[in-house]
Amino acid sequence: MRRVLEHGALAFLVGVLCLAAAAPAQDADLRAPSSALAGNAASIATTGSGTGSFYLVGPSIAVKREVTLGQDVQLSAKELQSAGTYLAIVCSGNCRSVGFFVAPAKPVNLTFLVHPSRAPVGQTNMVSGVALPFDEFRNLVLVPATVDFQLTAAGTAPATHRVATQNGVAWFHTNSGRSAGALQVTASVNDVATRRVVQQVASDPCSLRIKGQRNAKGFIVETEPVRDCTGNPVPDGTIVTFTAKDSQGTGTVDAPIKKGIARAQMMGSGAVAISAASGVVMGNELRLGAQ
Amino acid sequence: MRMRMIAVTATKTMWANHLIRFGRLAKLIAIAVAAIALLAPRYSVCADSAPTVVLNTGKAGPRSVESPTERVILRDYRFAWANLEQAMESSSTAPLSGLFVGTANAWLTDAVASQRRNGLSSRYLNQNHKVDAVFYAPEGDMIELEDTADYDLQILDGDKTVHNEHVVVHYVVLMTPAADRWVIRQLQAVPQF
Repeated sequence: MRRVLEHGALAFLVGVLCLAAAAPAQDADLRAPSSALAGNAASIATTGSGTGSFYLVGPSIAVKREVTLGQDVQLSAKELQSAGTYLAIVCSGNCRSVGFFVAPAKPVNLTFLVHPSRAPVGQTNMVSGVALPFDEFRNLVLVPATVDFQLTAAGTAPATHRVATQNGVAWFHTNSGRSAGALQVTASVNDVATRRVVQQVASDPCSLRIKGQRNAKGFIVETEPVRDCTGNPVPDGTIVTFTAKDSQGTGTVDAPIKKGIARAQMMGSGAVAISAASGVVMGNELRLGAQ
Repeated sequence: MRMRMIAVTATKTMWANHLIRFGRLAKLIAIAVAAIALLAPRYSVCADSAPTVVLNTGKAGPRSVESPTERVILRDYRFAWANLEQAMESSSTAPLSGLFVGTANAWLTDAVASQRRNGLSSRYLNQNHKVDAVFYAPEGDMIELEDTADYDLQILDGDKTVHNEHVVVHYVVLMTPAADRWVIRQLQAVPQF
């Protein structure tokens, strides 16, 4: 009986000591900032008395410092530069925590991806662009914003696409123009603008016309100036394949276009039929008689 | 009579030996059970270190995600989180393996460095990621994911756990293709989608 009483008294004493030890921890608590913005200072209110260890864990930060409970803990602008989830913890005996979000600041940068860098003219949905607004701390701005995409080419009226960002992204695609030359593509949101240039180039040759004549070595053939279907000269370096058929067989020569014209010297003295092709385009057939 | 006594003594000795052997065996079994019991939590932590990722690309647009691309993104995203977990637990950037670039890499490197400076570490245990691709660029050079992740977050100050909580976090993720992998450029938590 006496032993039972001793145990009871001991348990009571332990309970009282535990409660006493836990009491200061219950006093220490935190109140998160109601709204925090990236790159702006904020404060966290604490309750309790005495001192405690304060921890701030965020997307790019994990700090610890001693704080006086019952006073506000000041968080510097630098500590809150990254948008996202933050966790504030205060430990004094027990640990208490509170989470809060830091929202991105206003957009000051636009990441702007434009494709392709060289676009053939007259193609459907050939040019596309994706714009993502970021604040000065490289946080993706997810609040919907209107992005103006402006496309300007020499000799044509500017075209504008106005697109609202969804999940922080705005995009467009459009047909390439009819004339070769630089296409300026600008994305802007508020006062922020980013520019890219797409070089519009001639598309595939539209038709091939060839002419030729005999010379001492055999015969020489050349194209007339090669153009695409909207009249733009096809870029130099485009390959034209000349094929010659005579009684001996068939011979081919690949010739690059130089200054709009492809030219080839071919051998042979008999009657010959010559044709030309570039990509999927076939030219006229040219017949030259025997030398 | 003497022979019988010797036989009885021999039988007793045999039983005693059996008992000793059984006792040793029992001891060994007890040690093994205790060892398993002690090590079990560690093994479960190891098992937890592989994040579970489910990727849905059905909502992605304007370009649809090709199957090989989806497989690679899933592989690299899962691997990136495993690396992040290791980096944050060990307070070292060595495990990052180049799967984070740009802002994501800068943030993570800063977080690891400041953890190390302050003697802190963090654990991301039992990770589950439910990921939806919401935007895939027309040229396939950028994908945006929305990840609803849940995990056990532990913050440690030295050996002392100062925070332990099961959390659900929403992440907006930007990934771009690199030479042989997809890398994370932005990993930003948001209140909700």
